[in-house]
Amino acid sequence: MANQPLPLSQETLAQFNRSMATEPGVSGPPRRRLGSISTRRSSKDQSKDQPHHRPLFLRGMTVISSESSFLSPNVSHSHISMGKRFSFAGWHQGGRVSFSGLYLQQPIQEVYVENTYRMGPEPGCHFSPSRTQQILQATLDSYLDGVCYSPDSCSQLCQMLADLVLSKLKDVNPPRYKLVCQVVVGQSGKQGIRVASRSLMNPNTDNYTSAVFQNHSLFAVALVHDQ
Amino acid sequence: MDEDQSAEETTFVVEEITTVIKETVESTIGNNSYQHSKINQWTSNIVELSLSQLTKLGKPFKYIVTCIILQKNGAGLHTASSCFWDNSTDGSCTVRWENKTIYCIVSVFGLAI
Repeated sequence: MANQPLPLSQETLAQFNRSMATEPGVSGPPRRRLGSISTRRSSKDQSKDQPHHRPLFLRGMTVISSESSFLSPNVSHSHISMGKRFSFAGWHQGGRVSFSGLYLQQPIQEVYVENTYRMGPEPGCHFSPSRTQQILQATLDSYLDGVCYSPDSCSQLCQMLADLVLSKLKDVNPPRYKLVCQVVVGQSGKQGIRVASRSLMNPNTDNYTSAVFQNHSLFAVALVHDQ
Repeated sequence: MDEDQSAEETTFVVEEITTVIKETVESTIGNNSYQHSKINQWTSNIVELSLSQLTKLGKPFKYIVTCIILQKNGAGLHTASSCFWDNSTDGSCTVRWENKTIYCIVSVFGLAI
């Protein structure tokens, strides 16, 4: 029946309507086929798509989003168009296994992390000072351009900048690296100021970067150490 | 007994470090007035001396020492820091020192190995 070259969504819709209305034996094959497709899909989920703990919805709509890549188009169309609960016949002839609206959750397996015995970062995974410097400079420029110094707001601004820089660098950071970020914001007066820093670190793996921004009323220095 | 010793040694003790830093700053700047020509030397000295004193403590830490020297001119200054580290073992401390013409702010960050 499924071999007819009709618009497939309508074909399967018709089959469903028939299977809902009639006895199991009569439209056994199409229902069983549909049932078998559904169970095969869920087993495919378990092996391929969901190695971890995603809940399996067997109700119509939500199944599609995760499996449309390897489903036959007729089944997916039917599910989208149906949008209501339906029950599938199981593998056994004459037996009925209903999965409508059942929330199947994979058992959550705890991940035990073993000791890696790693003494240093992997060869390609070092901290990159130049890339960090670009990010720092871009952040300072974008946030401080045109800002006037004011004693009330600048403390908040300073803290916000420090947190912002940290969050941006966390994405770029290689794994297992620690970050220390310091931001100094001051009023541009006629005073002199000097910011110096030194660190005790492993020169093979650790590094630092800094960026400076200045406008007519304030200056900012951002310092990042990565260890 | 070994575990107790290692527990004492692997935490960041703020008071000890504050004392060390204060002494360093006093010995470097003392009562001097702000002099533009000597600022480079003062900041380098403070930072290097601090770091050497900290290593003499003999703890399994990596240190970052930052020093800001600011001339007293009525201008405002803010500094903030944010860190991505292990809260249980790492820490920081900041020492503020001033005399008649200079503000000095020294921050020490200690990251456990």
